Amino acid sequence: MAAAERVVVDRATKVYNAGALNVFSELRMSVHDRETLCVLGPSGCGKTTLLRAMHGLIGLDEGRIVIDGLEVKRPRRDVAMVFQHFGLMPWKRVRENVAYGLELAGFSRADVDQRARKYIDLVGLSGFERAFPHELSGGMQQRVGLARALAMEPDILLMDEPFGSLDAQTREILQDELLRIYQQHPRTMVFITHSIEEAIALGDRIVVLTARPARVRETLTVDIPRPRTVAGVIAHPRFLELRDRCWHLLRERTTA
Amino acid sequence: MSVREAQAGAALAVRRGRVRRLRLGDWAVRLGSIAFVLLVWEFVAPRFNPLIIRSPSAIFRAFFELVGTGELQDALGQSLRELFAGLAIAIVVGVVLGIASGRWRFVYNALDPWVSALYSVPSVALVPLIAVAFRSLGDPPRIATVALFAVFPILINTQQAVRNLDRSLLEVARAFNTSERRLWSDLIIPSAVPFILAGVRLGIGRGLIGMIVAEFFVGLVGMGYLIVEYENVFRIDRMFVPVIIVAAMGIILMGFVQWLEVRVAPWLRREQ
Repeated sequence: MAAAERVVVDRATKVYNAGALNVFSELRMSVHDRETLCVLGPSGCGKTTLLRAMHGLIGLDEGRIVIDGLEVKRPRRDVAMVFQHFGLMPWKRVRENVAYGLELAGFSRADVDQRARKYIDLVGLSGFERAFPHELSGGMQQRVGLARALAMEPDILLMDEPFGSLDAQTREILQDELLRIYQQHPRTMVFITHSIEEAIALGDRIVVLTARPARVRETLTVDIPRPRTVAGVIAHPRFLELRDRCWHLLRERTTA
Repeated sequence: MSVREAQAGAALAVRRGRVRRLRLGDWAVRLGSIAFVLLVWEFVAPRFNPLIIRSPSAIFRAFFELVGTGELQDALGQSLRELFAGLAIAIVVGVVLGIASGRWRFVYNALDPWVSALYSVPSVALVPLIAVAFRSLGDPPRIATVALFAVFPILINTQQAVRNLDRSLLEVARAFNTSERRLWSDLIIPSAVPFILAGVRLGIGRGLIGMIVAEFFVGLVGMGYLIVEYENVFRIDRMFVPVIIVAAMGIILMGFVQWLEVRVAPWLRREQ
């Protein structure tokens, strides 16, 4: 194995309601250094639960998750998360929302300022520092969420269907932004999605999960070279093949 | 990016503009409504017995008579003192107990039966008890009455705001490793502020009622005294002056809190 493993999910099992509801069981996967691993699965298959466990927001019932050699017990500063619901504080302006994690991490005022400005600029929100979230469109709100996570300059970025609630056009714009940001600074990323196209466009590898209780159905390598754009990926000869494969894997399980 | 920024900027301007236009229209309707009622009142009042109802212009004249004798200023000063002291106590007690009972289950369970009981009992029934408890007919029992009337909407609103904290934001805070202290300043307090202010607005209305009731029952002073005094001598025009002033106090104070809401919670300034 050429690339180092940054995140290792080892026989992770999660049950709810005292075992009545098996969310996922015996999950195994690993995320390599500086790759984007997309976790693709049907709605309600426990993808989000898995991601929350990766960040230590919830515990596992069996198995473990190890990031950079340390078992995940609680949220860590070198891991940052982007939420499907954006998770912005409505009473904080754009700048304060982006600075939130930095302040909690105890950075100096000057560092907080400088980093917040840098990442607001990176996600294209310069000029909106003093706007409240409700004054922004959904796409711009998620840019704030992205800047807040990136500002932590995390080793691992966890993305929980970050573009799931956006319209198709905005989603594609933000996917391109994410590819551009990756190109500037490649970073290890776990990206949860239920969109096959999104998984192919963004992922270096795709882990396809089955319906609940989720297991790893198959892991695909997306052999489409970077730098990528969404349009470029869709036009790539491998795209249709990969999409059909994903479709097949996802459908196989739902009819079973 | 520049095109997108321009679009977003335009959307921002449109939203703000709409809010402002709406407000102007709101005020026109409010003032028009008051003018209409006063006008109808003015024309209808002379048809009735002056012992029952007097016209707005007669009340207006009575207002200047009462100002002339200095009675009104004295009574108003007295009443405002009780009101503000009582409201201040109600806000402090309501917010502190509301937050504590919203955050800690133990406090909630210890407090809830009392809050429910006292909130459902007509507070009027408790006023004589308060006077007895204080062994006085001075300001303290009246202030306590205002506080008793005003405290519950503030307490309950604050409590509900804290209890219904946005769970997804709580998770965000945890994901960024918040401390308990920062959880309060980043999440709990700001999300409770609009509810606290809404509670204060309700509390003001109830506090004004408490003020008048206390002035009726405990010592007979202030605006309550003016009402009783002039009603007893059938000077309905003069009786109406304190009634209208109390109503105006309500309008002004609640308007002030609403203005305050925009100041301390500018993120709520969205189109209705």
